[in-house]
Amino acid sequence: MLRSPGLLTLARLRRDRPAMVSGVAALLLVGLAVAAPAVGAVYGVGPEETFAGDLDPYGMPYGVSGGVSASHWFGLEPGLGRDIFVQVIFGMRTSLAIAGTAALVATAVGAVVGGVAGYLGGWADAAIGWLTDVLLALPLLICAIALIRPLELHLYGPRDPVPGWFRAVTVAGLFGGLGWMPIARLVRGQVIALREQEFVTAARASGAGARWIVSRELLPHLGAPVLTGLSLLLPAFVAGGAALSFLGLGVLEPTADLGRMIYRSLGYLQTDPAYVVFPSAALFLLVFAFSTFNEGLRDALDPRALR
Amino acid sequence: MRHRSPLALLLILACLGACTSHERGTELPSGGPQAPVTGLISTDPAESRGPAVPVPGATPGGTVTVIRQTELTRLDPQRIYSFLGLNASQLYARRLTTFADSGAGRVTLVGDLAETPGTDLDGDCRHWEFRIKEHLRFETGAPITAADIAYGIARSFDLSLTGGPTYLQEWLAGTPHYESVFDFAADRSALPPGLTVPDPRTLRLRFARPHCDLPFAAALPFTAPVPAALDTGLDYNRRPVSSGPYKITKVVADKEIRLERNPYWEPATDAVRHQYPDAFVLAFGPDPATQTNRIIAGHGADATAVSWDGVDPSLIARVVNDPALTDRLLRAPTPSHNTLTINTRRVTDLAVRRALNYAVDRDGLVKALGGATVARPVTTLMPPTTSGWRDYDAYPAGPTGDPAAARRVLGGATPELVLAYPDDAEGQIVATYLRGSLERAGFRIRPKAVPATTFLGATKEADNPWDLYPGTWAADWPSGAAILPALYDGRGIKPEGSNNGTSYLDARPLDAEFDRIMTMRPERQPPEWARLDERIMRDYAPVVPLFVEMECTLHGSRVGGLFVDSIFGSPAFVNAYVRK
Repeated sequence: MLRSPGLLTLARLRRDRPAMVSGVAALLLVGLAVAAPAVGAVYGVGPEETFAGDLDPYGMPYGVSGGVSASHWFGLEPGLGRDIFVQVIFGMRTSLAIAGTAALVATAVGAVVGGVAGYLGGWADAAIGWLTDVLLALPLLICAIALIRPLELHLYGPRDPVPGWFRAVTVAGLFGGLGWMPIARLVRGQVIALREQEFVTAARASGAGARWIVSRELLPHLGAPVLTGLSLLLPAFVAGGAALSFLGLGVLEPTADLGRMIYRSLGYLQTDPAYVVFPSAALFLLVFAFSTFNEGLRDALDPRALR
Repeated sequence: MRHRSPLALLLILACLGACTSHERGTELPSGGPQAPVTGLISTDPAESRGPAVPVPGATPGGTVTVIRQTELTRLDPQRIYSFLGLNASQLYARRLTTFADSGAGRVTLVGDLAETPGTDLDGDCRHWEFRIKEHLRFETGAPITAADIAYGIARSFDLSLTGGPTYLQEWLAGTPHYESVFDFAADRSALPPGLTVPDPRTLRLRFARPHCDLPFAAALPFTAPVPAALDTGLDYNRRPVSSGPYKITKVVADKEIRLERNPYWEPATDAVRHQYPDAFVLAFGPDPATQTNRIIAGHGADATAVSWDGVDPSLIARVVNDPALTDRLLRAPTPSHNTLTINTRRVTDLAVRRALNYAVDRDGLVKALGGATVARPVTTLMPPTTSGWRDYDAYPAGPTGDPAAARRVLGGATPELVLAYPDDAEGQIVATYLRGSLERAGFRIRPKAVPATTFLGATKEADNPWDLYPGTWAADWPSGAAILPALYDGRGIKPEGSNNGTSYLDARPLDAEFDRIMTMRPERQPPEWARLDERIMRDYAPVVPLFVEMECTLHGSRVGGLFVDSIFGSPAFVNAYVRK
């Protein structure tokens, strides 16, 4: 029986147990994050609800492991007294939305730009290469400082609160807009290598047009590098978002954010390790699940690259 | 098994987490005196004479290290205004007067370079005389005269030497634009109007208006003597000439400042300072958590070190639960008073301002900031360390606020208010918490994040567009005169650069009261300020008093004599010594 490449990939993926397990785990985490408000409602605690009464005079939660109990599964945040489970779920939503959008934008832009540069070559390649170099030289932090606040000052009046989603969209756009260059370089190199391969020459000799060559001969081979890039960008953007939060440039309170939460929790490593464990474990699982699944997917897409 | 190590790490962390247990009812004492300072201005000249009372058990020798995250950039006594600068400069810059501090709330203002804390010649607080002590010397061996002190005050008029307090300049000139009255750069040998040196041991100041607080203001280091011949202008900041028990011997930018004994300092002339350690080192760089961890470990020089930035809230639980560290912990309230300031130009409805006072949950806010070692709730306009302070609660709502009472005062209204806050980590926490507790009382709060770097300047503009914002005020001396007129006298409102946290309260009936108390003898003022404090809160409610900041810091096992000073709420070094 003759099978399409897609079905072949799926079959190979099915045989890869780590990939399947991590795929299911990633889906589950994404599902939890997307359904955060519903999860909070079922759980019975809102993201901005505080339980100061369950904290001692120093702001440390009473009870075992930072206040873990039947009503607070992951305990309470020291100081603020918010439920960590709800914060983790909502924080995962924010981090995933920003990092995911940014990674997709960066990958898409990078693939298109890199593909065009590699396929066309000549002056187009040179011009795009020059642009990529210039953008690579732009420090993300300086751009964030130069862009985020002036943009808000311009768009919002002095008495208008800036909604949480606006900051999230700006940050995602900034990461996407300044994160695509490595992908572009990767794809360009791949396309240049592929362009000279016999099967492309054969297709061209048999009269295939540019469109056919790009979509049928080149694109299927780009899946692996693009997925690798994507899996590298996602955790990098989650961490980047956390760094921005602490400069007052990332997602601000009261919007929950996993990165900001982990950054704050690190100070409590000696006094309330449970506070560090839960959000860090969530981020670890998230990144681990995604990268393991990506690894499996890449192997399935490109079995020759295996071992 | 590629992923074994991160999983193992996670398991270890999970176990660590599970191993901690914290039972309800195991609270530790909150610690630190809450009493106002007492015994303010010394009347007995003997109290101004040296030598200072020996510290029990103190021995000479060793080096005391002070660790701070950010560098101390101002050393020039005329330009000092930071808490570290004010306290560290005690070691090398003597002033006209200074506070003799028991470290437990009893503070006496004594003469430092002067024989007494000043004489009010005409009994109207306008004409003051200071007699300068004998046998005072600079680190060069040259005698210190009234002319050197007058020169120091004169150079503080130079606008290129900015950063220090401006009380004396404004009082002598009779205007906030003191540079228009006296141009120091034009003639460096001239003295500002009103400042005279009749003889080398006498300094006189004459003001157009009464300033009964002069003895307090004279305790700020801008009255430190400067030898005119050695004044290098802006460069003097790098190497000021010492008049105290220590002199600066080494300055490494961004790393350390080293002070060693000044042999020309005469203990018999000094009522407050000692000269126990061989040297003090101010070391810069480590963050607060690192400072605490290093001092707990106590290796090498860290055993004789003190953390300037204090114990990080995240480490408090570890420090207060370790009996070995308890007696090395310095805890006391500071004069830094924090409010939710109400812009009374925008929020003109008194009922709304009163309802805000009923609604705020101070207890929760204090916990959110790090608990009892970081802040202490307060309902008065003056911090509890102020002389004459009396506790009252004009809007009693319990420690966690009373949303129902606030709703009653609002009478069904749901005012929409813009709450501006600095977008740094602490600003976000404060705003988040305040918003939550105000919305429970029916307010509709629109939080507006403002870049932290521009926040203070923006709230000091009288026509700023916000209704509520956090404010902080730390008085330069523990008297109501340095607090209430500065913040609530409507005649002091400027278009911009008004005092921090000001609510732009402009109430005519208060004017006469401010004038009346300001011209009273300093020792009779404290109860009057306390009464006015309560009256302003009851009649105008211009702010919601929130908390005073608490000092909580740790020092090494081999350093003694450190205490939290009652004026600035920071570690004081005058009694420090190294244990053998």
